[in-house]
Amino acid sequence: MTLERDFSRQSFLGAESELVLGDVRAFVAGLGGGGSHVAQQLAHVGVGEVRLVDPQAIEASNLNRLVGATQMDVKAHAPKANIARRLIRGVRPWVKVETAQSDWQAADDLLKDAHVVFGCVDGYRQRMYLERAARRFCLPYIDIGMDVSELGEGHYAVAGQMIVSLPGGPCMRCMGFLTQDRLNREENAYGDAGINPQVVWTNGTLASLAVGAFVQLFTPWFKLDRTYEWLELDGNSQTVSRSRQPDYSVSGPCPHFASGDLGQPDFSLN
Amino acid sequence: MKTIFRATRDFERHVRQDLERPHQFAAERVGFLSVRAASTGKALVLLADRYHPVADEDYVDDRRVGAMMGQEAIRKALEIALLDPVGMFHIHMHEHRGRPRFSPIDLREQLKFVPDFFKVRPEMPHGAIVFSHDRAAGRVWVGPARIHEIGEFNTIGQPVDIQSASRRRLRFFA
Repeated sequence: MTLERDFSRQSFLGAESELVLGDVRAFVAGLGGGGSHVAQQLAHVGVGEVRLVDPQAIEASNLNRLVGATQMDVKAHAPKANIARRLIRGVRPWVKVETAQSDWQAADDLLKDAHVVFGCVDGYRQRMYLERAARRFCLPYIDIGMDVSELGEGHYAVAGQMIVSLPGGPCMRCMGFLTQDRLNREENAYGDAGINPQVVWTNGTLASLAVGAFVQLFTPWFKLDRTYEWLELDGNSQTVSRSRQPDYSVSGPCPHFASGDLGQPDFSLN
Repeated sequence: MKTIFRATRDFERHVRQDLERPHQFAAERVGFLSVRAASTGKALVLLADRYHPVADEDYVDDRRVGAMMGQEAIRKALEIALLDPVGMFHIHMHEHRGRPRFSPIDLREQLKFVPDFFKVRPEMPHGAIVFSHDRAAGRVWVGPARIHEIGEFNTIGQPVDIQSASRRRLRFFA
């Protein structure tokens, strides 16, 4: 135990939890409001390697929720991935951090040999693609997202989700989260309160649920036998509950990912 | 380049259950895993796709070893790789907990048949894996005579398990 490596306050995760988490390579797609919180928490719990991918540089409108960002970053147009790297290194200087200022598809080398994928991206279609990539490389996929819908004049519903999708288990289509109707509606608009409304407290709650699910997956502190998880956040009442939608939607093995859809289709040793 | 073998927990459970079945005369069972693959600049990732148990009648009655495959077992495995773009990994299990190791006989026998898979599927890695009740070890051929240790085994499910050879060594020497 050193000043940099004192995990005594989370020792209930198991005698080997420091080593287990230190071996983890986490891939985070999207370093905005949700992803920046996830990156910060991964550093705190002691994940040894974090891959950060986001194509964007910070803008002034991001400061309402992007943890670790400063006014200087806005002036410098700092890449969001670099801000998250600085945040991680400030907590744990020994964490290996790789960044890519690109779409996650262009940085898939950072995904293939990771151990877990966090999807903190905008839009249902991007989530669908990211989950598909996670399945292709047999990786757990943890998704977070929030949305704000207008209920009436001056009244809004704030809601979000944290979903765990495991290879071999129900996918987000099986669960009833990714529906054709949602994908179609997204073609027109995402949320009614401007483009991608995001707030720091909801992002933080969802990121905490995601990191909690991750830690439960890698260093379980009590036995869980679930093959998926979908937690719904009601941002108006500030409550989290298990979605009942999968109870109606999941029936039998996932039909959306065939066993042959593994690996690189063009793989060759030569 | 680090080699990672990855499978779901359900897949591994299914394989272990099958390998535990008694055989009429062989002391242990064997099979093959077909794998898909991916690579980065730093890692080769082997993704378990299907399990192919060796049929009862394809064992040879040789009491000097735990299990001896006949030519027909190898021919069937070669045919899988011929028809499908997959790598083939021989698999068997040692009846204990903790990290398994190949026996000298395992190592000798692997050299006789693993390189043959490159004749039918040269672009894919092939090899051999040994399970214990809770761990695994393995070797991968990335060419007919180029052999590496599998450096990491990932079991994906609830919970996720990462077996890293480097972590074990760190603990051993600590």
